[in-house]
Amino acid sequence: MKLRHGIWMGTALVAVAFLLRAVPVVAHHSSAPFYDATKHVEAEGPVTRFLFKNPHSFLYFEAADASGQKVEWQVELGPAASLTRTGWTPETLKPGTVIKASGQPSRAEGSHGMCCARITRPDGTPITAGGRYTEEQQPPK
Amino acid sequence: MTAWLEATALATWVRTSPSIWAYPTILTIHTLGLGIVVGACAIIDLRFLGFAPGIDLPSLLPLFSFIWWSFLVNAATGTLLFIAEATTKSVQLVFYIKLSLIGLALWNTVIARRAVRQNREAPALAITSLLLWSAAITAGRLMAYL
Repeated sequence: MKLRHGIWMGTALVAVAFLLRAVPVVAHHSSAPFYDATKHVEAEGPVTRFLFKNPHSFLYFEAADASGQKVEWQVELGPAASLTRTGWTPETLKPGTVIKASGQPSRAEGSHGMCCARITRPDGTPITAGGRYTEEQQPPK
Repeated sequence: MTAWLEATALATWVRTSPSIWAYPTILTIHTLGLGIVVGACAIIDLRFLGFAPGIDLPSLLPLFSFIWWSFLVNAATGTLLFIAEATTKSVQLVFYIKLSLIGLALWNTVIARRAVRQNREAPALAITSLLLWSAAITAGRLMAYL
């Protein structure tokens, strides 16, 4: 009886361990699979769209790339619920508002994605003041 | 159809409300429900595998009502989370994999209930249950990445 239980237990543990090993990304929703924290990008230009939503907000803006070509950047932000705590609303960044964003670039080849970005006015002043938290960083949660 | 779902007032509220009681709370309840469903299943599975032999198998029967009720809670909260992003979630393969795994795991649980009622240890069912629930949770978590 005891031996049979031991065998079943062992099989179960090995199976579960194998499953966990095969899929390393199981715990927290980290930004690391998508964005490279060792790199830094900066761009400036007018907002094209601001999606204020859960579980992640997105900010799109236009800027010139190295060759002078206009590209649209996609900045991944925190959820609506936490942006609100920084004092932001869906109306905070209307299309046309010129912003500066600096953050971590997307790992996707040829894309213009950014996360964990600091977003300011072109002169470096904050977008809004007086939120519950400072708007230093908006990492995706 | 998915675009319509996503545009309903309820879906829009879940997706755009800045309130901590909207999306974050729904997601938290979904996680609590998951804890009860899979936790109760895991207790039964471990007992099937020979752990805690002092527990009389039929005395575990009430756990199944915890499982069914918590599953209902998760079906409801899961529906809310789905409609909020219906257009993107409905084209995610891993979402359908997750639903299939949950379906299989529930079927497994129905069969396990019979074994509990008959006071019969079912170690094979315990293994399939642990594997199916682990895989379902993994697929659910991967929805944020794939």
